Amino acid sequence: MGFLLETLIAGLMAGVLYALIALGFVLIYKASGVFNFAQGAMVLFAALTMARLQDHMPWPLAFLLAFGLMVVLAWLIERLVLRHLVNQSGVALLMATLGIAYFLEGLGQLVWGDDIYRIDLGLPKQPTVVLSGLIPGGLLLSREDLIATLAAALLVALLTLFFQKSDVGRALRAVADDHQAAQSIGIPLSRMWVIVWSIAGLVALVTGMIWGSKLGVQFSLSLIALKGLPVVILGGLTSVPGAIVGGLIVGLGEKLAEVYLGPMLGGGIESWFAYLLALGFLLLRPQGLFGERIIDRV
Amino acid sequence: MDEWPADRSENTSTFPWLLLQHARLQPSGVAWREKNLGVWQCTTWVQALDWVRHLAYGLAALGLQRGEHVAIIGENRPRLYAVMLAAQSLGAIPSALYQDAIATELAHPLELTAMRFAVVENQEQVDKLLSVREALPLLEHIVFHDPRGLRHNTAPGLRSLDEVEALGRHHQALRPELFEQAVAQGQPHDVAALFFTSGTTGLPKGVVHTHASLIDRARAGAAVDRLTAREDVLAYLPAAWIGQNIFSYAQHLVCGYTVNCPESPSTVAIDLGEIGPTYYFAPPRVFEALLTDLQVRMDDAAGFKRWLYRASITLAERAQAECDAGSRPALRDRLLLPLAKALILAPLRNRLGLSRVRVAYTAGEAIGPELFRFYRGIGINLKQLYGSTETAVFVCMQPDGGARSDSVGLPAPGVELRVSESGEIVLRSAGLLREYYRNPEATAEVLDADGWYHTGDAGWIEPDGQLRIIDRVNDVSRLADGTLFAPKLIENKLKFYPSIKEAVAFGAERAHVVALLNIDFAAVGNWAEKRALPYSGYADLAAKPEVLALLADCVAQVNTDLAADARTAAVQVRRFVVLHKELDPDDEELTRTRKVRRRFVAQKYAELVDALYDPARQSQRTQVQVRFDDGRTGSVQADLQLVGTKVQPALHQAA
Amino acid sequence: MNHTMRLSDATGPFHAKTAEPQAIAAEPCDDVLLELLDIHLGFGGIKALQGVGFDVRRGEIRAIIGPNGAGKSSLLNVVGGVYQPQRGSVRFDGRNPARMHPALAARWGIARTFQNLALFSGMSVLDNIMAGRSLHMRCGLLAQALRLGPALREEIAQREVVEHLIDFLEIQAWRKQPAGSLPYGLQKRVDLGRALAMQPKLLLLDEPMAGMNQEEKEDMCRFILDVREEFGTTLVLIEHDMGVVMDLSDRVVVLDYGRLIADGTPDAVRADPEVVRAYLGSDAA
Repeated sequence: MGFLLETLIAGLMAGVLYALIALGFVLIYKASGVFNFAQGAMVLFAALTMARLQDHMPWPLAFLLAFGLMVVLAWLIERLVLRHLVNQSGVALLMATLGIAYFLEGLGQLVWGDDIYRIDLGLPKQPTVVLSGLIPGGLLLSREDLIATLAAALLVALLTLFFQKSDVGRALRAVADDHQAAQSIGIPLSRMWVIVWSIAGLVALVTGMIWGSKLGVQFSLSLIALKGLPVVILGGLTSVPGAIVGGLIVGLGEKLAEVYLGPMLGGGIESWFAYLLALGFLLLRPQGLFGERIIDRV
Repeated sequence: MDEWPADRSENTSTFPWLLLQHARLQPSGVAWREKNLGVWQCTTWVQALDWVRHLAYGLAALGLQRGEHVAIIGENRPRLYAVMLAAQSLGAIPSALYQDAIATELAHPLELTAMRFAVVENQEQVDKLLSVREALPLLEHIVFHDPRGLRHNTAPGLRSLDEVEALGRHHQALRPELFEQAVAQGQPHDVAALFFTSGTTGLPKGVVHTHASLIDRARAGAAVDRLTAREDVLAYLPAAWIGQNIFSYAQHLVCGYTVNCPESPSTVAIDLGEIGPTYYFAPPRVFEALLTDLQVRMDDAAGFKRWLYRASITLAERAQAECDAGSRPALRDRLLLPLAKALILAPLRNRLGLSRVRVAYTAGEAIGPELFRFYRGIGINLKQLYGSTETAVFVCMQPDGGARSDSVGLPAPGVELRVSESGEIVLRSAGLLREYYRNPEATAEVLDADGWYHTGDAGWIEPDGQLRIIDRVNDVSRLADGTLFAPKLIENKLKFYPSIKEAVAFGAERAHVVALLNIDFAAVGNWAEKRALPYSGYADLAAKPEVLALLADCVAQVNTDLAADARTAAVQVRRFVVLHKELDPDDEELTRTRKVRRRFVAQKYAELVDALYDPARQSQRTQVQVRFDDGRTGSVQADLQLVGTKVQPALHQAA
Repeated sequence: MNHTMRLSDATGPFHAKTAEPQAIAAEPCDDVLLELLDIHLGFGGIKALQGVGFDVRRGEIRAIIGPNGAGKSSLLNVVGGVYQPQRGSVRFDGRNPARMHPALAARWGIARTFQNLALFSGMSVLDNIMAGRSLHMRCGLLAQALRLGPALREEIAQREVVEHLIDFLEIQAWRKQPAGSLPYGLQKRVDLGRALAMQPKLLLLDEPMAGMNQEEKEDMCRFILDVREEFGTTLVLIEHDMGVVMDLSDRVVVLDYGRLIADGTPDAVRADPEVVRAYLGSDAA
């Protein structure tokens, strides 16, 4: 009983982080209709920036500076890339994001170096035991993971609220739906793109911080984004709630599979289970759980 | 039933007097709620009184006199109800007219009562009145509620209610005592309102009611159902209809409950859900439409959900039938019922907007037994009542625990009722009309010297004391072989089928019965789409052989049903035709309350009916006049198939 | 394509309402809101507009008619800043932009509806029209994200404007429904509502009645007349159904193959021999 609960909680905590990564994809896809291949590179770049800045200043300040840099980056991307690709085909945009990805990976390592760096957020490392009154032995939880999960969950909640309820969120959805009509009512496309890429930058930064503080900041961090792929396939590329539910399903699924199927199939299920799930979904329901239409641009 | 408690001190009451009382006794109680700009806005009784006062001063300043009539035309709006109260405060007589009537139909009542004032909702109504103004030289003032599209209209005598209110505020300051004086002058036996019956024949007649007659019936009804000031009512039927007046005006003022006005006619279903009325009235037609809509939707649902729905409804109907019959449902049903309630019935009631309903009534037409059983089954206290414009609604009411689909209830408190030798129902009560406006001949036809009112309805009193109506006395006739033929009985059975919207049966002095049918466009359209049956419009759909076969099945089932009773076995429908257009009030085929004008239809489609009786004919070419929404007329023609149906031998021999 | 051009059929059900311009005459009628001078526009070798020029007065309903391919939509797109003319100038509200573009047009108070529906189909009717208020929203990003007081108050104020429009267009029953799920005629109304939410000085309607049945057309005509009366908006509308236009508009511009062939009151235009020729020509085609 206690073990099952621990597995479930671990799954949900991983799920929240996956949801965060997926949200980065969904935001950009909704606003500009392009699947952002650079999301992983952005995670790496943001984490590197954060890690190196942290050597010189307390982490909250480093965080703010790093976020500032991501906003500048978003502005540059809009100026130098997106603006010139208005009304171009989806493939052209996709290629552009691939280019951005390589550029960022190169730039990050060029500027910040290619060692393994640490991000230290000063979170408590020792685990804690909860609910010992209810369950014999209680539940053993990592406090670091718990705080990271709560932070990620908070960000997801804020972004959802922002998208659904705020006027800018509405404008972003409008842009996603129809560029021409959005322009005709005075929604400035370029500003919307800067905003949405900045938010994606923020998501990348938080993702990079959380994973970076656990695993260290290194090139493999950019592969974290690949975990977002099965999630968006599950949840649908156009749906914010889909990203959240998809993330939770993937997180839970792979932990449960690891624990209960692992002994039968051999370990390492965690690394491929999500893709199997996504493959199943692609066959049965290609638009995802909450998706609005068949994805035609990926 | 308990004796209705004697009317205490309130014999002197009039509607404005009741308003003053509520403003004093429950000042912050909500009198009206109206959804405006997406938000429900409340008017308390004190605010209502202020409003009425301003309007009364304004109308008085424009010269409204005691005893004169004021036309009120529009959807249900608190301000229009306030105008009615304001007019009554001054001793004038408000007369609500049907807002969907065309201009020429509006002209008759205005001319008859020499109206100088018309208070209307919006541009649409103003345009109608202006278009017939030349024929109404007396009509001086047209006052509108919604200024949209009218700001630049300079027609003489046209002004907004806002202006009238402002004028009223000004005059109130000059003579603050005038309003109370005017109200005090009003007497219960003054005329309170004039209603126009949508009569199935001839021009509408004005039915004169006094404060006393309306308040008497409103109180009688309120006593039977123990209505309180906490009821919520949704005012969504035409204010010109006396039922609406009783539920949203007379009883509103008698009980002091809240009347809620929908945002627009198209949002009634949404508003119903948001308000959740506790006291609800709908004609069978509305209940039927709700159920048809529901069935269409359930047909689209997934298999399991559909099964669960059917099982729950069957179970609930069975259990309710047991309860209504005074016995306990079987143990298994009692155990399963809470489950059905939680899974299907409660969500269903909620979806219909009827989850808070404590008392629901239907009247006006007979309700199909299946329909009645359904609503009672899902837990709505649906009952029937009997009454008319002339009787201020409450003549008979079913008590809680005495609801049945084939009867209309026990005589309400204060009603003396009997069946005359000719089989007609006659009654006496304090709620009867005073007279038909300027029509002593018509008055004499229905009110005899002893004060008995002749309803024109045929029926009898059942052993348990409930009244049963079979048809209009004039419509009941006999087949050529002398069998009793009550067309409504057959039509009602036909109309229960979701595919059939309207049915008119013929058989008087004929060898057998035939019928004209209207398909229900929504239901049959859905049915056709599911079968990938293409159609281009109403007429095309109505003529499809597949649709004719579908309706033939319905008719055959009705015939089986009729054959089960010896009294009706001979009136099975032998042939029918499906009309290529909907029967429509604009073409005078239905009344504004959507009752079939039988004689008119018989005349208009005489050729078609004759063809139905001619066995040699398989189809008939027909051409009819229609009036479009913009007032233009045109004609539509079609070749209609005459369809024969299966007839069953009588199951039981007459005892 | 065969057009339903009925030169004789000008007396529709709307005639009663065309008496209204007298009321508008109280405003300065000689005041020109929009002036186009010698507009030339071409795409590759195709000359879409060749030296078109006319003006639109404040408060008037101005129609642009012409057979398909006459350049009507191109002209609208020039005014809205979607296309840049190769020659000629657009003067709006006393100002001459160096280069008109859609964002500028929106800021100056030019709104438009679309011939082919361009609603935000996944968003509710309410959100579609609220989006039309974008230019009028003032609160910062953070305040909105956190739903702070001023942002909430602003939202409520904007919502009130939008609710008035929902009431005006009689679409209360569909507020919460996704715009894409509505029937065509209703979507057209939502499109109009979204444009009106900008509170524009000039409203461009690109074939507002295309694809509608008679009843929907009549509704739309009523809304167009009411827009002018209620909001004082100046309207420019494109139609190729001449009957509708003649009843609705104060002055009519007729285009044919990118050239302006007539400009004047409906009666004058109807009588113009070149217009008759252009239309009969296209009918015969």
